[in-house]
Amino acid sequence: MVNPVLLLAVPLGLAFCVPLFGMASRRAASFVPAIAALFNVVVAIRLLPEAIEEPIVVCLGGFSAPFSIVLFAGPLGLLLAALVALAGFVIAIYAVRYIDTGAITKYHTLYVLLLVGATGVVLTGDIFNLFVFFEILCISSYALVAYLGDRGGLEASAKYLIQGAVGSGLLLLGIGMVYGLTGTLNMAGIAERIGAVPSVPALVSLALIVVGLGVEAAIFPLNAWLPDAHSSAPSTISAILSGIAIEVGLYAVARMVFTVFGATDMLFFLVFLGVLTVLVGELCALAQSNIKRMLAYSSIGQIGLILFAVSLASSEAVAGGLFQLISHTLSKVVLFLAVGYMILRSGSKEISSLEGMGQQMPLTSLAFAVAAFSLVGLPPFAGFPSKFMIVRAAVAEQEVIFLVLVAVVLVATVIEGAYFFRVVQSLYFKRGEKQAVRQEAPSSALIPIFVVVVLIIVFGFYPDAVVRVLEPAASDLVRSTDYIRSVLG
Amino acid sequence: MRTLTSLILLAVIAVGIGFALTEVPFGTPKTEVGGYYLEHGREETGAANTVTSVVVGYRAFDTLGEVTVLFVAALGLGAVLAAAGGAGARREVEPASLVLRTGAILLFPLLVLFGTYIFLHGHLTPGGGFQGGAVIASACLLIYLGSRERIISRVGRTVTESLSGLAFVLIGLIGLAFSAQFLSDFLPKGTLNTLFSAGVIPLIYVAVGFKVGAELGGVIDDMVKETR
Amino acid sequence: MSFLQDYAYYIGAFGLVFIGLLIVLVQHNLIKVIIGVSIFDTGINLFLIAVGYIRNGTAPIFSRAGLEPGAMVDPVPQALVLTSIVIGVAVLALALGIAVRLYREYGTLDLRKIRELRW
Repeated sequence: MVNPVLLLAVPLGLAFCVPLFGMASRRAASFVPAIAALFNVVVAIRLLPEAIEEPIVVCLGGFSAPFSIVLFAGPLGLLLAALVALAGFVIAIYAVRYIDTGAITKYHTLYVLLLVGATGVVLTGDIFNLFVFFEILCISSYALVAYLGDRGGLEASAKYLIQGAVGSGLLLLGIGMVYGLTGTLNMAGIAERIGAVPSVPALVSLALIVVGLGVEAAIFPLNAWLPDAHSSAPSTISAILSGIAIEVGLYAVARMVFTVFGATDMLFFLVFLGVLTVLVGELCALAQSNIKRMLAYSSIGQIGLILFAVSLASSEAVAGGLFQLISHTLSKVVLFLAVGYMILRSGSKEISSLEGMGQQMPLTSLAFAVAAFSLVGLPPFAGFPSKFMIVRAAVAEQEVIFLVLVAVVLVATVIEGAYFFRVVQSLYFKRGEKQAVRQEAPSSALIPIFVVVVLIIVFGFYPDAVVRVLEPAASDLVRSTDYIRSVLG
Repeated sequence: MRTLTSLILLAVIAVGIGFALTEVPFGTPKTEVGGYYLEHGREETGAANTVTSVVVGYRAFDTLGEVTVLFVAALGLGAVLAAAGGAGARREVEPASLVLRTGAILLFPLLVLFGTYIFLHGHLTPGGGFQGGAVIASACLLIYLGSRERIISRVGRTVTESLSGLAFVLIGLIGLAFSAQFLSDFLPKGTLNTLFSAGVIPLIYVAVGFKVGAELGGVIDDMVKETR
Repeated sequence: MSFLQDYAYYIGAFGLVFIGLLIVLVQHNLIKVIIGVSIFDTGINLFLIAVGYIRNGTAPIFSRAGLEPGAMVDPVPQALVLTSIVIGVAVLALALGIAVRLYREYGTLDLRKIRELRW
């Protein structure tokens, strides 16, 4: 059996090596992130069948739980780790050619460390360890948003950093309070003892933790930083942030609420918050004329949808939410990567400047269209089964309030369709001003993009392949008694 | 207006926290993990300083993460300032006074020695890799203040940073190879309170001390470059 | 009175936390906001250490024979604070680097004027 710790140790070791390679050759250094991510994809998928049987619990340092730090490689953790690594791999290949200015070696090192941080958050079983890896994720993203050094990027990064730092501080405050209330930092240990703590202190500490994690998870109203950051970052970073970082933040929130605190009373509030986030995201996206800002607001809308689904707490709803998470990651990665070269070729980020790209960059535009249709939820792409599962689970709740919320979500889907179709229309049905010269994106960009497009189509046709893994993952999240038993015995 | 809403918001949070704190009484033992570490820390890790046995023994993975955070920040700072290209206004800076120059040169070796002492003895006295590394970095800062020469070579600092980080990960992997757990102790624990005790802990702290010293020195170097 | 004595540390720590938060929420100068974040971090660290304090306990170091583990304070919060201080320094360094670049690009550190990105 492969030890899941290698999912963290090997990329971390490679990250420390990148500056050394960079001194020899910048080209060599730019391939290391792809190698690290590929390793993680292979190991995570290899461990997944085992973890579905019985979650793998690793006690680090040779000491036993709860006196050591525990890694909990359950189906959910490994699924997300595989997703992080897959997205990381694809974007890393694209970035080899796309990133050609600035301190390139530092970019690639920071990128690997971002992946390490995200993988650490989903695999850990200890709340302070969660904080440390969460910080690795956040700080590398602050630096990468500012990578291009232009005015927009610096401003976005500064605002992101301030909000993120306050969020992390609140998270740490919550962790300190939880330690004072329960006496342990192990997630399973806290889950065991939190029942004995009176509800007000437990709620206050949970609130602090959720607000702290919510800044990164882009839950309304903590997501003011996101449109600026995701639109001013280089396109590869926009892709990894929208595709992975906010999802991992949402995972952390879900893990805290469900498994650690068992806070079922808070769920209704989170359902509302999710729908509110969806509305804010989709309405603002409609009003945008800058393509990257539009995609960023769309990410906010999608995260709201995933939060809505997961907070419904029935096993079908959680599985639907996780499926939506996967389909959003895949689609958003394609969208941002496609847009990356489109912006380069047309020289502007405005939607109007993308007119006629259907002729100029046919393959890239095709990828964009497929991903857009998937995100809106059209069959036969991956977004359809995921949205369908969510709607079905919400309707099954059989209370009027949920039907109203589902109606709101469907209205938001229509809005989503509107703004994406507007872009697709621009791509294919409008003539650009310039001559339609075929100037496609390089193959280093097209190959990774189409790998993901193929996955979107495959998951759309065979959703059961995914659902088979999602159901154990969903129960991993929701059933705290099983979690406690796996870790503490 | 903004001040008023901020104050109201903070007041609400304060009330909530106040209620929560009634359950966290001051001065009483709250945990069993803390007691366990105090009771068993000496035998299980061999370090006399229990905080060190927690930081580098029981929770060594957190320390690896912490080292990584500092690495990320130093890299990020380098990447953000690199694009600037030192195009700042180059003012004529007057040379440092005689006292500062001489003092810096005299104190520098003492500070480096002191920092090294701190991280070597992390398992015996309060201190450790981070504290020692910070002292060494402040020694470098003193030289910058005193003689205005840039003594930290980019190559040297990158190599030190990367190799010490790798050393930490390799120690963990060797532990994995020896006893199927990452970062487990594979060296003998020796007798308490001597320098060569506590298994891998001093080795890890040496690696951390070098890394933090190189990183913070690098951060200082990057910042100082901006003002030249 | 003993209530105040008991909770003085919590009040002090949270006082710093709230002062830091207020600065971040209200101030316009970027450097002052960064200082506010730093004060906020310090307050949190103080709170963490205060959680670990045990009355009449000493430092958890067995530097001579005959020290009882029962009479020592909790070492775990101290380990947490060690990590947290380093993370705080890291964020501070990066923030100041970004501030330096921002000043160079915009010529000002006033957050009200650094608003190139609209909507």
